Amino acid sequence: MASIKLSGVHKHYRNNVHALKGVDLDIPPGQFLVILGPSGAGKSTLIRLLNGLETPSEGRVVIDGIELNKRNLRSVRTKVGMVFQQFNLVDRLNVMTNVLSGRLGKRSWFTSSLFLFPRTDLELAHRALARVGLVDKAWVRADQLSGGQQQRVGIARALAQEPALILADEPVASLDPVTSTEIMGLLREICDEQGISVVANLHQLDYARDYAHRIIGLNNGRIVFDGPPDQLDSFAEARIYGRSANTRKEARHDLVLAHA
Amino acid sequence: MRSDIHTEKLPALPGKPKEWLPLWATLIVAAVWFMAIDLEINLQTLIWGVQDMGEFISRFTSPDFSRWAQYLSLMGATLAMAFWGSVIAFLISFVLAPLGARNLSPHPVVYRVVREFFNLCRAMPDLLLALILVSAIGLGPLPGILALGISTAGFLGKFFAESLERVPAGRYEALASVGAGYMQTLMYAGWPSILREMTGYTLFILDRNVRMASVLGLVGAGGIGTALSTALRTFNYDRAAAMILVMVATILLIDFISAWLRKRLQ
Repeated sequence: MASIKLSGVHKHYRNNVHALKGVDLDIPPGQFLVILGPSGAGKSTLIRLLNGLETPSEGRVVIDGIELNKRNLRSVRTKVGMVFQQFNLVDRLNVMTNVLSGRLGKRSWFTSSLFLFPRTDLELAHRALARVGLVDKAWVRADQLSGGQQQRVGIARALAQEPALILADEPVASLDPVTSTEIMGLLREICDEQGISVVANLHQLDYARDYAHRIIGLNNGRIVFDGPPDQLDSFAEARIYGRSANTRKEARHDLVLAHA
Repeated sequence: MRSDIHTEKLPALPGKPKEWLPLWATLIVAAVWFMAIDLEINLQTLIWGVQDMGEFISRFTSPDFSRWAQYLSLMGATLAMAFWGSVIAFLISFVLAPLGARNLSPHPVVYRVVREFFNLCRAMPDLLLALILVSAIGLGPLPGILALGISTAGFLGKFFAESLERVPAGRYEALASVGAGYMQTLMYAGWPSILREMTGYTLFILDRNVRMASVLGLVGAGGIGTALSTALRTFNYDRAAAMILVMVATILLIDFISAWLRKRLQ
């Protein structure tokens, strides 16, 4: 169970990009939250703030009453699983080792560098693999699996952390529609059954409507929509995906240049 | 509508960039020509040289294999030298390469220092290094091992570091986000991701060191090279011929084995 609180969060990047412009957000435990928004709206930045892959330029990120800072980063990360668009498995290691690497945050560098884990960790990884339905692939090398299977291993790695929260940064952007619904369904089941909060970035409105408890719309670094899926009407969509007059002009200008 | 294309006024093309290649090519050919004149390289000296070489090579036509056991054990010593040199190079680069990889180095200064150290190792020719080490610690295989180890650590370290830099950033990020530390990130994302390149590079270095180790014997670093140099200086061309044959055969064999192994890894 994890409750997350963002207050007054700004993020400036070094190249003068102002990715988040004052985000306030409360996520209660056990919620399946989907973040929607056009490319460059700050979705990834928002997700990556929640496990300290990015640090806010202003404002606070508080998880279970603990404000994220450099010193508690590792201990907070052990409780936050992350699933990636590109899966980010190590393709030359077998599935089991990839899942076991979810335990690394809690293990000493010395024994784990020798690839030694307590038996309880192996059981945890075994259970995680059973949860995603890939027990039979435990000793297969990760690069032998299909994209959907690799994403399942990614989810199993997150589960092996025994997380209170799973972050999913465009988890289905590299997968076909059928596999995508399987992966989204799996994440939702994990959320419902184990009470693990899920925060996911998506590009597909349908998946957001089908799987989210709550949808956040980001545009140009600000939250422009916050509500349950049934409130996501065409007005809300326009607000989330609409461009300001200024940016539209810029886009047309780019097109002319490309043809020149 | 079509006529629009023809009546439309075409903007002028930008000025054509200047082409400097013919000038450079002429200058380089001229420089090479002058060098040849200055060094008195001409067809006549070349032919004389070939004749001299032919005469010299004819002294090696009756290899004497009567001491083959000794040659083989000397060759074994040379191989051992190459092997241990490669082990030293591997250990040095295994420890230092992550610090010299831009994405894993704890600090830009550390990165620079490690990379310059690798450059320094590479810049030092192992023959010269062996010569210095032989005068410093005396004759025998140890200076040869150290010379090979230090100079190839430069190569291997640079190769490893560059491979580690090419690993997709997401893999390191995935490990960071489970709360893994530096060593764990290396052992679970860095090294396994480049395992194949690592093995290939290490075999290549071993291969090179076998060839180099035979030469290092010439400056007194032990092994078959030292025996060969003694045989040549005492005009024992038959023995020298036998040793050269043993060397060539061994090097070809090692070459073949490592090529086969590297192919298996693909």
